[in-house]
Amino acid sequence: MGKKQKLTLFDVINYIVFILLALIIIIPIWKVVVDSFNAVGVYKFQLWPSDPTFAGYLTIMSTAKLARPFINSVVTTIIGTLIGLIMATLGGYVLCQYEMPGRNLFSYFLLFTMIFSGGMIPEYLVMKQLGLVDNMWILVVKHGMNVYNLVLMKNFFEGIPGSLYEAAELDGCSPMKTFTSVVLPLSKAALASIGLMFAVTIWNDYSTVQIYITNPTQVNFQYQLRVMIMDGDTPTTAYKVSQNTLYYASIVCAILPFMVAYPFLQKYFVTGVNAGAVKE
Amino acid sequence: MSNNQDTTPVVHKKPLKLRMWNYRGFYLMALPVFIFVLIIYYWPMLGVRYSFYSYKLRDIHFVGLDNFTQLFKEKEFWSSFRNTLIISIVKLLLNTFVAVIISIFLNEMTSMICKKFIQTVIYLPHFMSYAVVAAIFTLFLSTSSTGFVNETLKSMGIITKSIDFLHSKTMWRPIFYLINLWKETGWGTVIFFATLSGINTEQYEAASIDGATRLQRIRYITFPALSNTIIIVLILNLAKVLNIFEPVFVLYNSRVLEVSDVISTYIYRKTFLTAIPDYGYTTAVGLFKSLVGCVLMLASDIASKKVRGRGII
Amino acid sequence: MKKKLVSLILCSVMAVGLLAGCGGGGGGAAEGGSSGSGSGSSAGFVDGQLNSINIIVDGTVTATVDAGQAEFKAQWEEAVGEKLGHPITLNITQLDHSDYSGTVSRTLTTGQPGDAGYPDALIMSATMLRQYQTTGLLWNLASAYDNAEFQSRVNFPQVNENIRTPDGAQYGFAPTYGNGCVTYIKQGWLDAAGKTIDDIKTFDDYYALLKAFTENDPDGNGAGGTYGVIAAGFGKLDEAPFINYMPEFWQGAYPSFYQKDGTWVDGFTEQATIDALARLHQAYADGIIDPDTEEAGTKQAREKFFSNDQTTSEGAFTYWAGTWLRTLSDNLVKNEVKKADGSQETLVQLPPIQEIKDTWGGYLNREAPVWVITDDGDGDDAREQAIFDALFETMLDGDKVQTLWTYGAEDVHWSTKAEEFKTNEGTENEASYTYEEGQFHLKQSPNDPNTIWKKNHLDAVLVIAPLTNGYVSDDPLVTEGNNFFLENAVDAPAAASSETLSGVEADLVSTKTQLVNMAVVGEITPEEAVAQYTEQYGDVCATILEELNSAAE
Repeated sequence: MGKKQKLTLFDVINYIVFILLALIIIIPIWKVVVDSFNAVGVYKFQLWPSDPTFAGYLTIMSTAKLARPFINSVVTTIIGTLIGLIMATLGGYVLCQYEMPGRNLFSYFLLFTMIFSGGMIPEYLVMKQLGLVDNMWILVVKHGMNVYNLVLMKNFFEGIPGSLYEAAELDGCSPMKTFTSVVLPLSKAALASIGLMFAVTIWNDYSTVQIYITNPTQVNFQYQLRVMIMDGDTPTTAYKVSQNTLYYASIVCAILPFMVAYPFLQKYFVTGVNAGAVKE
Repeated sequence: MSNNQDTTPVVHKKPLKLRMWNYRGFYLMALPVFIFVLIIYYWPMLGVRYSFYSYKLRDIHFVGLDNFTQLFKEKEFWSSFRNTLIISIVKLLLNTFVAVIISIFLNEMTSMICKKFIQTVIYLPHFMSYAVVAAIFTLFLSTSSTGFVNETLKSMGIITKSIDFLHSKTMWRPIFYLINLWKETGWGTVIFFATLSGINTEQYEAASIDGATRLQRIRYITFPALSNTIIIVLILNLAKVLNIFEPVFVLYNSRVLEVSDVISTYIYRKTFLTAIPDYGYTTAVGLFKSLVGCVLMLASDIASKKVRGRGII
Repeated sequence: MKKKLVSLILCSVMAVGLLAGCGGGGGGAAEGGSSGSGSGSSAGFVDGQLNSINIIVDGTVTATVDAGQAEFKAQWEEAVGEKLGHPITLNITQLDHSDYSGTVSRTLTTGQPGDAGYPDALIMSATMLRQYQTTGLLWNLASAYDNAEFQSRVNFPQVNENIRTPDGAQYGFAPTYGNGCVTYIKQGWLDAAGKTIDDIKTFDDYYALLKAFTENDPDGNGAGGTYGVIAAGFGKLDEAPFINYMPEFWQGAYPSFYQKDGTWVDGFTEQATIDALARLHQAYADGIIDPDTEEAGTKQAREKFFSNDQTTSEGAFTYWAGTWLRTLSDNLVKNEVKKADGSQETLVQLPPIQEIKDTWGGYLNREAPVWVITDDGDGDDAREQAIFDALFETMLDGDKVQTLWTYGAEDVHWSTKAEEFKTNEGTENEASYTYEEGQFHLKQSPNDPNTIWKKNHLDAVLVIAPLTNGYVSDDPLVTEGNNFFLENAVDAPAAASSETLSGVEADLVSTKTQLVNMAVVGEITPEEAVAQYTEQYGDVCATILEELNSAAE
């Protein structure tokens, strides 16, 4: 494959098909972005807004009903990712200790949760007991402990050469010290990719909010967006902004963080999936 | 996970207490995880006892298996059960099939830059939430004058009257599959690319020398190399078919319940959208779903062991 | 495999055992209500003193978080604290999204008195009240109401008498008259159709008008896309009087239980309902009912009606009377909705058509929504009475607190200070307002300086005991709206209440809604809809009717 090959008919068709495919993905996203700057709603696909305005974005920033959920989203995503990473690294590292008495029991204890769950209603009742209903921190609690990511983390740790552990032990490092000064620094890539998985999940979570939260001050941005567009619950604002502009501007805000970060971090996103699927 | 547990450890000479003492730091590390899991995952498991209770408002009393007899009689439940299987499985097969096709042909692309670019683009929609994707397509498919799809079709003269895609019982499922293809297929190719990058290029070269055409190479080298991965992807996902909730929840509506209501949305509706719901009944539906899910998971585990020599759990 | 399974089972048994053992507190707490927990003191009621009240309200408290709720709360706490002689906190949970009743049931099911978020008092529709009054969760406030101080000023005693159960218990308190819906028509569209409001006398006139709205390009954009009418549902089957929306189509039909010549009957199975469904179906098939009607919530429906994109809007909209004439008109201004000649679009109210007059006599005035108090079940009324005194008694004090509930917070929503301001400055709709010191007036809305604030929770005109401080909003449109309704409305039939009905009401509502929707869009015929209903609920309905009729005797 590495050699220069002649461009055959096959290649030409292949290129055309893939360019079309890319367009199918890009056009809807591009239309959303353009329409978010368009003062009047148009059905046509435009390359550039015909009547440019920032009113949509200004409305989001100045309307508490939209700005507050956005901040909630940011805060829960950051805290949730941190807690998720802490849990995954702690658990993953313990699972690597095959000689530890009770290690297998601990492993089954975790894996059983992947097979059986109490279901929506019992979970709801427990969260209610914990005071997490109508509370945005439900997002952190619900996603902070993810067994799947924990196992991924363990797999990453196992990829660290055993000789490094031995060296640390010879240096007189305690297991904790080995963990913080040897293992974690070597797992930056793993932390980045699993952290991204947490962040994507929490930021994009809509159904948890739909189920657990009714208090408008506690909802996240995905939920607010959904309520606004699907239930037509547009907040009253001082800005003169067309509904369409506001809708599309909100969509852009909802996808912006990862759309911006993604091209730079693609490597980490992809590693996470491969580690999960290929080696488990 | 299971690679190490059956190998007999050699160093079991020290007494248990001492070994535990040596690992004291690790127990401390495990503690937060243990408590977290206990509260978030195991505590709710106690709640499944409500399956045997009638639980309306604060009136809770034991009813034995009544909830299950009611469940098995309920037409609406069976309709949701059937929908769950159809929607999940068709979605899984379609997404996998298209992802494989894309991977194979993208793999044939000679320009590395172009290949990278296409990959970057097709991964994009995965990072949008279902809520956002549903919002985008609901706006595009709407019947209003700003509805992208309807107005475009009208201006091209293909239709004269707007079609209400998402409210049509015949159109809903195809639209659902298409939207899911748009969102997830690109990302689904990641795992196939990982496999393809492992194929020895010598194989291709040897085939070229033997005069094999591109299509023959795909047929005899690329595809067989992928077949194992395809089976693994299918098995891994089979275990989760009953869990489908959010993709359906964000797109369904009362008009198309008949073709779109899945078990999770059924539980949701019966619990949260009913004036005075019976939590006992909906817990029973949840328990039923969990148990069937459990069986599917164990079946996938066995299948996975057969195919690749190790389980999924 | 075997070993693994055994371990798994062992592990789960261990975990569950551990939880069951150590989790006596946790597991037991999950059972919550079953133990009845008669601690007798809620979070806010300690040693006979009410320190805080949790209330759950819907969108009818218009002083929302974005619109001065903090000030409303602060002024309420100050005024009520002064009256009671000790400080008190008001915790407001406002559920402004569409699923109010579902959320309330979740809160009441999973919480219990004494929990931090458990409501002490909340708003319920008349229908919800009937579902809950037999459950023991609500407090019988009959004697508290009878002995209330505001009794001497009550003008409409009938409103709360209607709420009482046959044995004299009263679980809800209605501070206002019910109000109802009237049909609003866009003047510009009416002009474009070449009609005046006086031309619309009968259903046929109305239907022809809607058809013109749909087909004759009333918005003048040269293309179709417009509709005749929209509402938040073809009917409103979850809340009496059920035919608030699209009354011109429902006419004399009443798709629920009602008393006909002294006997209870099930209106859903009557010929009138079948005819009404046929009319709705015809209109739907002709494209004059906006198909969004089926799914739309109230907010979505009204926003589409006054949207700045009139190309897919509607000419007629049936919605709440009175203040809403003002709100809808203001929104047309805000969204720059114009008539064909470029002037500002306005609304005109359609008097009831002949068919409505012949059957009911006018638009229906619904049963009032109520406030209820939750019962902590300890057999002692001290907490509940304290909530009544702090919340309901003050709500109708005729003075400071009633003003808060009626108009909102002082110097936020209304003021008596001298001031001048303009709305829609720099546009053709610019209006300026000048007030002298001491003159009561409403201010600009906190969340939209281009409109004038209208009211908070209570409607000054509909309230059962009027304000005594003389604060009147003299908005001509609101007055016009209220007068129009009072002239054209009659009381809705009394709603049914029976034990069996409470149990199945929710199912009945969802089944009927679905059947009505299917019949209107033409998936089944109206006759089939009624037949399916009878097949599924015929026996239950017979029982309900039996209960209702035996209670009536």
